[in-house]
Amino acid sequence: MLRIMLQKLWHKKWMNMCLLLGSILLIATVVSFPLYQTAAYDRMLQDEFRNYMASEGQWPALNSFTIVSKKDAEGTAIKRMEDLMGKVNSDLGVTEKETMYIYQLAQIEATSTMNREDMDSVPVRLGAMSDLPAHAKLLSGEMYSEKGITDDGCIEVVVSQSGLVDMQVLVGETIRLNGFKDADGNEVKLTIKGVFAAEDNSDFYWQVDPNTLNNTCLMNMDLFREMFTGENARKYTITCRYFSLFEYENIKASQVQSLADATKYLTEESGYKSTVRRPAYQDILEDYLRKQGRIQATLVILQIPVLIMLAAFLFMISGQMYDMERNEISVIKSRGSSGAQIFRLYLYQSLFLSIVGGAVGIPLGALFSRILGSARNFLEFDASRSLQITYTAATAKYAAGAVLATLAIMTLPAIKHSRVTIVKLKQSKALKKKSWWEKIFLDVILLGISLYGYYSFRKNSAELAKSVLMGESLDPLLYISSSLFIVGMGLLFLRLQPLLVQLIYLCGKRFWKPASYASFMENLKNGRKQQFIMLFLIMTISLGMYHATVARTILQNARANAEYLDGSDIIIKEVWSEILNMDGTSSGNFIEPDYFKYADMPFAAGYTRVLYDAKSTVDAQGGQAITLMGIHTREFGSITSLDRSLTEKHYYEYLNELAVVSDGVLVSRNFNTKLGLNIGDSVKYTDSTGHSATGKIVDFVDYWPGYAPSVTDLNPDGTAYTEDKYLLIPHYEQLRQKWGVVPYEIWIQLKEGSTSQDVYEWIQKNDVHVAKYVDRQTDIRNTIEDPLLQGTNGVLTMGFIVTIILCAVGYLIYWIMSIRSREMIFGVLRACGMHKGELFQMLMNEQIFSGVFSIFAGIGIGKLASTMFVPMLQQAYAAANQVLPMKLIVNASDMMRLYIVIAAVMVVCLAILILLLFKLNVAKALKLGEE
Amino acid sequence: MDEKNIIEVSGVNRIFPVPGGEFQALKDINVQIPRGCLAILKGRSGSGKTTLMNIIGALDNPTSGNVLIDFRTVAKMSDHEREELRRKDMGFVFQAVSLIPTMNAFQNVEFSMRLAGIKAGRERDKRVEECLNMVGLGKRMHHMPAEMSGGEQQRVAIARAIAHKPKIILADEPTAELDSAMAAQVTRLFQEMTRKEGITILMTTHDVGLMDAGDMIIELEAGAQVLGDKE
Repeated sequence: MLRIMLQKLWHKKWMNMCLLLGSILLIATVVSFPLYQTAAYDRMLQDEFRNYMASEGQWPALNSFTIVSKKDAEGTAIKRMEDLMGKVNSDLGVTEKETMYIYQLAQIEATSTMNREDMDSVPVRLGAMSDLPAHAKLLSGEMYSEKGITDDGCIEVVVSQSGLVDMQVLVGETIRLNGFKDADGNEVKLTIKGVFAAEDNSDFYWQVDPNTLNNTCLMNMDLFREMFTGENARKYTITCRYFSLFEYENIKASQVQSLADATKYLTEESGYKSTVRRPAYQDILEDYLRKQGRIQATLVILQIPVLIMLAAFLFMISGQMYDMERNEISVIKSRGSSGAQIFRLYLYQSLFLSIVGGAVGIPLGALFSRILGSARNFLEFDASRSLQITYTAATAKYAAGAVLATLAIMTLPAIKHSRVTIVKLKQSKALKKKSWWEKIFLDVILLGISLYGYYSFRKNSAELAKSVLMGESLDPLLYISSSLFIVGMGLLFLRLQPLLVQLIYLCGKRFWKPASYASFMENLKNGRKQQFIMLFLIMTISLGMYHATVARTILQNARANAEYLDGSDIIIKEVWSEILNMDGTSSGNFIEPDYFKYADMPFAAGYTRVLYDAKSTVDAQGGQAITLMGIHTREFGSITSLDRSLTEKHYYEYLNELAVVSDGVLVSRNFNTKLGLNIGDSVKYTDSTGHSATGKIVDFVDYWPGYAPSVTDLNPDGTAYTEDKYLLIPHYEQLRQKWGVVPYEIWIQLKEGSTSQDVYEWIQKNDVHVAKYVDRQTDIRNTIEDPLLQGTNGVLTMGFIVTIILCAVGYLIYWIMSIRSREMIFGVLRACGMHKGELFQMLMNEQIFSGVFSIFAGIGIGKLASTMFVPMLQQAYAAANQVLPMKLIVNASDMMRLYIVIAAVMVVCLAILILLLFKLNVAKALKLGEE
Repeated sequence: MDEKNIIEVSGVNRIFPVPGGEFQALKDINVQIPRGCLAILKGRSGSGKTTLMNIIGALDNPTSGNVLIDFRTVAKMSDHEREELRRKDMGFVFQAVSLIPTMNAFQNVEFSMRLAGIKAGRERDKRVEECLNMVGLGKRMHHMPAEMSGGEQQRVAIARAIAHKPKIILADEPTAELDSAMAAQVTRLFQEMTRKEGITILMTTHDVGLMDAGDMIIELEAGAQVLGDKE
């Protein structure tokens, strides 16, 4: 059996190579899915942790607990907490990175033993911090000793600098804790040994800022525990705070669910729930899980068309092979072989192919996922950003599934064929059948479903954005309807194609030369055989175009939106100190930071001052919250820009209109539509510090750099709402004259080639204290690197490449097979005196009817599908802050690449055709040669 | 050169290169076939019948010697001229079924006329019908090859070979796949055609029963000519 199988495999080596290619690609595509996801999720999770640290300035993976062990209460509370501390991280399934804790006794009045006249008594808390000597540096004096107590029984303590000031103690001084006794009933005295500060402020250890320890004297932790905890605990009130940081850098995506669950149990259900604060990372994890669900659903749906095409390819090739072996099978069958034997032969053959496919496909899948992870744009990769690939149990499951699926697809057609005897074969050859899909009107059904999807989503397009924001998983119909549309249209074309050929035939019935005539006949009578490959071609091209458009559109729109919302390349707002009135109230006057340093920014192409206040109001309709944006028209215009398509007039026209009216203001369109104001009306506006002015409306703008006309966000209950935003743009100089110097932002345009790194260095060098910082390059990068966008890009790109490979191989195979199977007829035609040229022309015509027609159909369907479905899909991807109108991005070079590949396939087909024709030996083809 | 001969083969040798040497398929063949004659080429398998047919049909070139078809030297013809010769002046009937599977009987016959450059029109349609009637398939004109038996298909092939009124028909074992009654019918058909249409037919066969039908017999044995004509 094995020998027969290997012989069979070798005999049809090209077909089997194709099957192998198909299996490899199918398995690789399937396997790349869990691999990419795991890696991308890991990266996304770490990004989330990093972003949290960057934006909040706090450690993300921190658990903190606080308990107060009351005097006279059960003294076991501290013991329980200490137990918890020992096991909390292992309970959560994480590795502890660092833990610190601080114990403090209740406040006690203390007096100096030095009879100081300047000091009566001060409130003091005696406490201890774990491992303090290792993390503190001494500003004066020394650290408490290992023993922690002086020879004359005074407890050695250190204080922070603010403690030194607030408690008015001196280094070396001894204070008495009034009325406070140790466990043995002795009076307690403290000796101030030194003043400490944090060795390193960014050290996790300093969860408690030394500056807040302004009445705390810290003693040796071991001594503290000996004196005040355990058996002695019930005599004191002790506040214990624990801070535990785990190694979030090693947290894998696969751990997130269990970590989130364990944390939830700890904070909401466990016996410790009252003492544990909900950690910040819980929000990060929950947010992450929401995102992950959405990404997973989206990527699965995006993969489906590619997987279907792969399956169809395998099915087609194996079907073709069975077709070629029909004679053999039926002869074997008629000679008494059982169907089961034949089936087994094919089963082994397919098994061999799928196992080899798996062996190659799985590593290739890893490569695929690496490529996916480095996708920067459609068909663009950035090799420096590849992912860390790890094989997980999920990988094995997917791989096994893919191998089995491959096996099934290749073997199942054999069941049908193993039943065919030579008699049935002869009968079936005589039959002309309509394809099954034509009979059940599959094309019409598919188009119906997809158009239903199209219209229902178009009607509810506004709701779409909200449901995305609320994290609802999207209706898969949204994604699938485009694929159904493409398949449906493709089938419809296949239904119409014979009519088209017939029409052309009838038009010139009397004039067709023999070659054309023969090709018409071939196509009209034998065209059904080509339907599969034609559908394949149509789908490759239209899906390719559609996916290219989807990927480009989603990415470009997200990018354009990020660019627009930032307003300019760099925005810096410094920390402004306010001059307070004598009574400490706000005066509305500020100390302006040095403005002249901005003249010396080597990276800036231009900069301007913008008075930006998002908490201003206008007194229309009883006070409407607005954003105030005082600008210098010429400077502002020179460093910002606005896409021409967004506004009625050119951006500069608005600036010019404003420039000529000194008290003029540009306002957002909703001042007109919602507040009922018109050009020429006066509005009184007030900034957040109470300054007010009146401006005359010179025009309405729909869009403005950095301005979002409406914002969609989540209510606390998780539902989404949309809110209009109002914008008012007066002259900065006007405001400055009226209001004096009010905090402004510096909007900067970068020089070509400058990066945010340059800005960062400049800020460091000039010691600028930044209160607000906007960096367009970083924001754009973050937008593009969003795992959902990136994964989408990657999947679409991979899918595109896979379909192109399949299409090229499939089409070539189809052609070679089709020519080979007709060699005898070619021989007859040649013998009858047909020229090689005519034969060539005949085959060319056939290729035009099937190939070229399909290509044009594919282009048409792809364009149609793009204009219809891409806008909806884009909406599903758009972030909540998407404010710009969607623009369909069709990249000419993508289309070019697609056309070039298709053209190359066609040229290779032609070359093979010519080669085969020249090799065609008439005598041999007709079995006329030497017997 | 004899005026009445349409095919003149003189001193033809055909040598095929084979691994380790040469194989002489034809040895000094001299054949003259007069116009309107049904000539039968007989011989065992491997005797060189088909090689000779291919050479006469301008599908193959002799290694040496000369072939004249209708007073024209085949060796001097260009590829194009040979194709024209095959299209217009020759008809072929092959041993294997050779109909174009995507065309029905009528279209198959019509196709050879298209190839011969006969303009479309009532004349052509009538001729197609006439030929199909001649082979007794007038009622099955619109059937596809797959719907016909082997004998019927072979008869369509004969109708196709004669439709464009060629001067010569080359038939390679046309009766091999037919039963004896059918074979006799086909042979009769050939005889009839040589009488009625003045066509010259060269047919190979190893069916001894059919030999008598021929006007002349050429016998080959191991590439050499044994017999020149019926006498």
